[in-house]
Amino acid sequence: MDEAPEPHDDELVARTQAGDPEAFDELVIRYSPRLYGLIYNMTSNHEDTNDLLQEVFAKAYRSINGFRGKSSFYTWMHSIAVNMTINFVKKRGRRHAMSLDDMDAGVQNDPDFIEATTGGDPRQDANISELQQRLNEALQKLSHEHRAVVTMFDIQGMPHAEIAKILGISEGTVRSRLFYAHRQLQNYLEEFIKH
Amino acid sequence: MDENLNVSKLLRLKRYEQPPPAYFEDFLHEFQRRQRAEALRRPAWALFWDRITSIAPTFRVPQFAYAAILVLAAGVSTLIVTQQPAETLAKVDASRTSLSLTASKPVTITDTLPVSAQTGGSLPSHYVLQPRPVSNEQPLSF
Repeated sequence: MDEAPEPHDDELVARTQAGDPEAFDELVIRYSPRLYGLIYNMTSNHEDTNDLLQEVFAKAYRSINGFRGKSSFYTWMHSIAVNMTINFVKKRGRRHAMSLDDMDAGVQNDPDFIEATTGGDPRQDANISELQQRLNEALQKLSHEHRAVVTMFDIQGMPHAEIAKILGISEGTVRSRLFYAHRQLQNYLEEFIKH
Repeated sequence: MDENLNVSKLLRLKRYEQPPPAYFEDFLHEFQRRQRAEALRRPAWALFWDRITSIAPTFRVPQFAYAAILVLAAGVSTLIVTQQPAETLAKVDASRTSLSLTASKPVTITDTLPVSAQTGGSLPSHYVLQPRPVSNEQPLSF
């Protein structure tokens, strides 16, 4: 028996605007894993990510009647998430930029992760935990704007054009921010990078 | 360029940092609970205002409407400005008349009464305004 095709975002948005809260629940289920990754990699803190993600969806729900479809719902949601996260991180400052307790311990046993990190380089194989720690530290040393671009491009795999729309900047600016951020990260992660 | 690729490859490892799958189910329940709590906590006018502000941007106003409103506003303000001097002059005239009562020279009744009233003969020849109001009440003494 064939399953019914999943409704498109636009349909769910229209149903939410018409007063169907279950349609918005579907959007929450659809977008929370992706937005979680975006926020987590900008805050490096699970608790902050959880609270922020709740606020992001609450704001989206309150403002959804004002969404007119000029951009995709995907872009709209990501814009809300990025802006709220940047504001949050600016306010938080360096209160607790990163805590090792926040890191996901389970990831070290993930077979995909191990396979990816042991791709023929013994140096990387040596200490996955240290690598994870250094990655988070390196990301926290970037400015909020650079971290946002790196998170969306390198971690979430978004194209330059989509990032430009979300941040409201040109593609050229996205590329230059990426170039600068990569150069900084190379310095921080020098020992893990093959020459 | 090669180093850039390696940085990207290292960063991709962070995709594996995800919370346990049950987290997202709990997340939805938590979201629904918070939404209900917020709806109960907020006053009705705030909810109504949210609705209005979220709907307001969807109103489509034709571009010429802004020009029409501008012209109307200019017309009304011109009307107000041109009406004002006539009213002000009338007020000035009225204040001059009232000022004449306070003049030091006694005002004779013949100045203010019509000719027909002047022939009565029983009216006093003139009034002098007292510097203090007359009162029948006893002055207070403590």
